[in-house]
Amino acid sequence: MGATSKLLLIFLLLAGGVGSVFVVVALSTRQPIEDQTEMHRRGYAVRSKWFLFVTLFLLAAFVATLPFFPYLSRVTAQGPALRVPVIAQQFTFIMPSHLPLKQRIIFEVTSRDVNHNFGIYNSKGELIAQTQAMPDYVNNLEVTFQKSGRYTVRCLEYCGVGHALMEKEFTVGGY
Amino acid sequence: MKLYLAFGLIIAAVMMLVGLTMRMAQAQWLSIPPDVFYELLTLHGAGMIIALVVCAMGGLWFLMRRRISLSAPLAVAAWALLMLGVAGVVISVVFGHYAGLYTFLYPLPFIGSWPGWATGVFLIGMMLINIGWMIWCFQILGAVLRAYGGLRGALGWNFVWCPKAFAAAGHEPPPPEAFPAVVAGLDGLITGMVAMLLGVALLVRWIDPRVLIDPLWAKNLTYLYMHALANLIIYMLAAFIYVGLSYVTKREYHTSKVFVIAWWSSLVFILTNYFHHLYMDVSSQPQILQYFGELSSYLTAIPVTAVTVFGALMLVWRSRTRWTLGAVFMYSGLIGWVVGGIGAEIDASVPFNLHLHNTLWVPAHFHTYLLGGCLLFVMGWVFLLLESRSEHSTSKLMRSLIFTLSFGGMVVFLLGFYFGGATGVPRRYDTQPLPGPLIAQFATIGVIIMLLGFTLAFFEGLRLRSGFSADRMLWPQNLRDDIS
Ligand code: HEM
Ligand SMILES: [Cu+2]
Repeated sequence: MGATSKLLLIFLLLAGGVGSVFVVVALSTRQPIEDQTEMHRRGYAVRSKWFLFVTLFLLAAFVATLPFFPYLSRVTAQGPALRVPVIAQQFTFIMPSHLPLKQRIIFEVTSRDVNHNFGIYNSKGELIAQTQAMPDYVNNLEVTFQKSGRYTVRCLEYCGVGHALMEKEFTVGGY
Repeated sequence: MKLYLAFGLIIAAVMMLVGLTMRMAQAQWLSIPPDVFYELLTLHGAGMIIALVVCAMGGLWFLMRRRISLSAPLAVAAWALLMLGVAGVVISVVFGHYAGLYTFLYPLPFIGSWPGWATGVFLIGMMLINIGWMIWCFQILGAVLRAYGGLRGALGWNFVWCPKAFAAAGHEPPPPEAFPAVVAGLDGLITGMVAMLLGVALLVRWIDPRVLIDPLWAKNLTYLYMHALANLIIYMLAAFIYVGLSYVTKREYHTSKVFVIAWWSSLVFILTNYFHHLYMDVSSQPQILQYFGELSSYLTAIPVTAVTVFGALMLVWRSRTRWTLGAVFMYSGLIGWVVGGIGAEIDASVPFNLHLHNTLWVPAHFHTYLLGGCLLFVMGWVFLLLESRSEHSTSKLMRSLIFTLSFGGMVVFLLGFYFGGATGVPRRYDTQPLPGPLIAQFATIGVIIMLLGFTLAFFEGLRLRSGFSADRMLWPQNLRDDIS
């Protein structure tokens, strides 16, 4: 299963869960009325458990996501890699049209005019990596292409009326 | 404040038609040139945010007016400034073809295809809107502080830390709806001033292009402001849950310690969450802020789900609720808030953000909580007002018809954005790569069904209005008895 369908699944499951809770609570109004003090007593007991659960869950999620952060430390940024400068400008990208397979690449992305974004799509149309292209700044994006083929770069930051046309294709490996 | 509400709802209605037009264009059922598309997008984005802010301002003002004294002329002056600003935005877009969007990033507005004057008028318009907003914040904050014993009293400091002495002295904490007012006032003023700083810098740059601004600095300020403003809309409308839901469920919503602490944390998180907008500035933004941004974005969910929404569910649980349209809209708005929040939390996770940043996932989550949350709260409020005073009531058939059309259509429309986002379709594209257009076709049909439901609701509202009888008390005035 791809990352995208996983995301959708997580979202739909959680949203469905929330929806069901709301439906159950709405339907409970058909039951005989419950006194508010009684309801408070039981409700607060549930709430403290829920509070604990949400807090722990979110903290765990925070810790679990840490290893997947894309930020390079000073050491890794200087490690051996092919450095590929990318310059974005209204409405194109200036960059090589061929890149090597299975080699660590660090894209050094900047912009000549306004803010753009450098988003890499694989041949299946999945967005696999991205970083902002900001004038006066350079963003280092680390990518190792595992599959040869045709890739498309799209701009993912609104940069003017030609924004949707801002595309660039490149190939990877013996393609 | 009818003035606020009427204008907010009229702008929102018009902008929904603009939204439909854009979605049809993305579905390739309608051909509009890119410059016109982005002008419409500018209008829709700015218009909707302003429309809902105005509704929330009017609504909270109206609720607080029952408890503390607020000067109406000052509120009208703030409203007039807002309208002047809206006029500026409209002129800049319609006549100047400004298409830089409302959350533009420096230096875009100066390097566009539109004339320089349009940028200037747009900036001035947005600043007038901001001044109007800050006057409102100032007014409501001042009034609340005066009424509840300064910052300490209004924030419920002693109520939480020394409850015994507090109770012994015969004090009572501020009512629940005072907390959204304090938080909106404080955070609104802080971020509003930041926006003025940025606005002045941009105006100077507009007058003299030699003046340079740092793009990263500008981006941080832009999002601090816009994120807080968009967030505050729903936090302000939370006041309606406290008052509205306790009215329909015939139960009471009290200020409790947990409730107060939840609002303290929201006060902070509204300001610190915006860092998640800069996750993809992978090397330029300081790294520590990225980590902090994710943690803060996650923790925001605690006060909302464990206190406000949980409290609302407790109100409804086995209560004597009559599910009139007002009650249904208000209750469903809560679902939109939570589900939109889930979408937001997923996007606020850095590893997912890598795949979702600036895709249709972003409009997906904020339409869920703005359209499926905020707008429904406002509609719920309007219907509670109408229902409380009208001799007519809505038939069961009409209620289920409106419910099915509005929510069925809305779900299809919103899912379109989520699917688009998950498959990597970029946001703010007039012509999208596949499968964008295909998804947009389904979504457009959803929008049309939803708008049919809203239209029915509108006519039902008119019918209720025609049945007003003078001897019925206007909600929530009739709550007065149990307040004093
Ligand atoms: C009939 C209902 C609506 C429809 C059909 C609609 C449609 C759209 C579409 C197609 C976009 C552009 C998405 C993209 O490609 O980036 C958009 C953006 C947006 N919409 Fe809506 N929308 C609706 C209601 C609302 C409501 C109720 C609000 C808020 C109160 C809202 C606020 C926004 C905002 C803030 C943007 C972002 C503008 C930007 O990217 O600069 N919309 N909407
Ligand atoms: Cu672009």
